[in-house]
Amino acid sequence: MAGLGKRPMAALAGGLALLAGAAEAHHSFAVFFSADKDVIPLTGTVTEFHFTNPHGIIKIIVSGAGKADQDWSIETNSPSILIRRGWNKDIIKVGEVIKVQGWPARDGSNYMRLRDATRADGTPIGSKPAGTP
Amino acid sequence: MRAFRSLAFAAALAALPALAVAAPPMKDGHPDLSGFWDLDARVPRDAALMKRIAPNTAVLDDTGPVEFPRGEYGGLKLKPAAKAAADAWNPKDDLTVAKVCQPPSIIYAMQGPFPIRIDQGRDIVVIRLQYYDMVRIVFTDGRKHLPASAPHTKVGDSIGHWEGDTLVVDTDHLEPSTITNNGLDHSENVHVIERFRLSPDGRTLLSTQEFDDPQTLDNRGARFVAWKKLDGQFLEPYDCDPSFALNYGSGKPR
Repeated sequence: MAGLGKRPMAALAGGLALLAGAAEAHHSFAVFFSADKDVIPLTGTVTEFHFTNPHGIIKIIVSGAGKADQDWSIETNSPSILIRRGWNKDIIKVGEVIKVQGWPARDGSNYMRLRDATRADGTPIGSKPAGTP
Repeated sequence: MRAFRSLAFAAALAALPALAVAAPPMKDGHPDLSGFWDLDARVPRDAALMKRIAPNTAVLDDTGPVEFPRGEYGGLKLKPAAKAAADAWNPKDDLTVAKVCQPPSIIYAMQGPFPIRIDQGRDIVVIRLQYYDMVRIVFTDGRKHLPASAPHTKVGDSIGHWEGDTLVVDTDHLEPSTITNNGLDHSENVHVIERFRLSPDGRTLLSTQEFDDPQTLDNRGARFVAWKKLDGQFLEPYDCDPSFALNYGSGKPR
């Protein structure tokens, strides 16, 4: 994972978990999300975008091949950090199609922590990946 | 030969401004810590600060964007009651409108991956954190701590003094709050010592944070925290929005 800082991956294997962004007082990335699993990709149509701290929220509808539509909520890094990565409250519009990758919630719900996001044509959203420190 | 010496002298003169710029800034006879500082977890631990950490101290390796998973405390020795509380902790209980915007104390907040801004005066040092818009005032005018009856807060009561090039900050009167982000909290009796110094070029702020809480721990804890100076930057407002708590688990099949 990019931007890990001073710790090698071996340190992660030794018991530490990567927090993909801002740590909250009681909102532990390590407890809520599966950093030890592969990130999952989603493509969907935006229904809501909230750009407020402690975390932004992107809500999308994912239409799968032959499956019922799914509502997904995607939690972003702290907007106060994302602003320095080229984000703002208008960077994602309701109705647009975006592609996201992120770490899934441990409880199996349709909830994930964002690692990176692109427009439908693959153009990155923001100047750096959203989920790297 | 004379021409060579002249050239060497001229080269040395030309280098002087660069050397002057590289020296740490000074203010009122002390290194000036003022500026916008962005946390950088890649900075190696500073040997001069690390050797001042007291014996029987676990130095936590979770500064910045790394967290301990459940049950891992980085060498801290928990009292039975603290261990029981951490074991019983349900993180979803904290994802409520009432709780999600409660800031941690400075013990956890200072090591988070957020920038800080320092404004240093003769008698006070103001440390503002982007994280939860926290503001710390460190009195360096020689005063003592507040009386025991004074309220405890998330920033506590901080008094500081200079030891050579190092600002030593002593904090008590903290409200119980997070030590590690996995259910381990400190008590209201925790005592924190922080040491801050600049790198030789003045562009890196180096610090250690030591905390002692006999009500919670059988040993002491510490972290090394460092920030890089960024010019022309300002803190962004945090303005925590508690409605975030309503979104957790909101995704579902239609």
